[in-house]
Amino acid sequence: MSEIHFTPGSDIYKIQAEFYDGPFDLLLHLIRKNKMNIYEINITEITREYLSYLENSKGVNPAREGDFLMTASTLIYIKSRSLLPRPAILEEESPEKKLMETLIEYDKIQKISKLLKEMEGRELMLWKREDVKENFENSEFDLKEVSSFQLAEIFLNLLKREDGKEVLFLDSKNYSIEKKRKEILKILETEGFMNFNKYIENMDTSEEILVSFFTMLEMAKQKFIVAIQKAIFDTISVWKFDSGEIVQ
Amino acid sequence: MTEKKEPLFDDENEKIAFLESVLFVSKDPIEPERLIDYLGCRRIEDFEKLLRSFEKDLMDNNRGLFLKRSGGGLHLSTKPDMHEKLKDFFTIRRSSKLTIPSLETLSIVAYRQPVTLAEISDLRNVNSVGPVKNLLQKKLIKITGRKKVPGLPALYSTTHEFLLYFGLNDLSELPSLEELTEMFEDKEQPSLFD
Repeated sequence: MSEIHFTPGSDIYKIQAEFYDGPFDLLLHLIRKNKMNIYEINITEITREYLSYLENSKGVNPAREGDFLMTASTLIYIKSRSLLPRPAILEEESPEKKLMETLIEYDKIQKISKLLKEMEGRELMLWKREDVKENFENSEFDLKEVSSFQLAEIFLNLLKREDGKEVLFLDSKNYSIEKKRKEILKILETEGFMNFNKYIENMDTSEEILVSFFTMLEMAKQKFIVAIQKAIFDTISVWKFDSGEIVQ
Repeated sequence: MTEKKEPLFDDENEKIAFLESVLFVSKDPIEPERLIDYLGCRRIEDFEKLLRSFEKDLMDNNRGLFLKRSGGGLHLSTKPDMHEKLKDFFTIRRSSKLTIPSLETLSIVAYRQPVTLAEISDLRNVNSVGPVKNLLQKKLIKITGRKKVPGLPALYSTTHEFLLYFGLNDLSELPSLEELTEMFEDKEQPSLFD
């Protein structure tokens, strides 16, 4: 169960994220806390709570704050709409209704998840013949780090795709590893994660792709990043390497 | 399958011994029909009686196993109180639980199947490629068709492994959404902000 603590007078917040996964969760908690009917959310109150929360939090996880802001802005949007005089709108256009429906559905999903979790816990106590051998991995994903050879192989496959394309012009831009490195780091800072295949998809020249690829290899070598591929020919996922942990 | 056979077993005890052997050897749950046929039980009640005395045998004699009925069949499973010691003995960290995103995705598939990735992502309000791939990999869900809409997206459903993993015989054993609401209304969550 998630717990969100607002420590008075400090900007520390802590989320014990067992059931926290996104802005709707928080919204649901806020609704429960204020004992509101899901159909009659007091937008003002929740918005106020959101805003005070945001005011109190400084220098926290930008991705998570983004989620909060996104929900907060939806709420503010709904609130402002309700304040403005407007012609009667069609039912299905109403963002209030859509939000309500999403919330109700989300609430259901949470309940089912909780139930499945309980059932899973019970079942995991019972060992069956196959269990010792075919136990699920401890980590959720069966990720494996790829060798530079595998990376190179995938890369060659990507280049082959470029081969068929007609060359319309030749560009003599200079790409530097240093620049690419900054670019990749920036993506990782903002997104937390990078899909390498997508990253090079829109590049104009093989040269640029090559430089990007070498930059990635170099960064992996210096342990700035971790490159992972789930299966051969799958996309290469890149994370920042941080004290041995994959930062997701 | 063939002509009338001579009875293979001398008495009930031998049948129970055979039942135990089959369940010991098999990794997958055995469908009761197969056993009924082989054991030469004329009525389901006879077979049920056999199962009950086997179950009683396991319970009364402080055995480590019990007869489990899930995944549409019978299998032997260790008793829950053995869990900690088994973990210790095999030095296994059985903490391999599904993550919340995976559980959420699985919930949607279980209750809405067949369902597309787009529908899952929409309900969870977040792109769910990762959990879907993960669940496919673990064989808890599978592609069962294509939706006849532009792009022909894959439709996902739960698998037999899903039933086994959650100890179910079939999907109808999952509570309905109404029952679910009641279930969780009773244990009203304490306010998370107090």
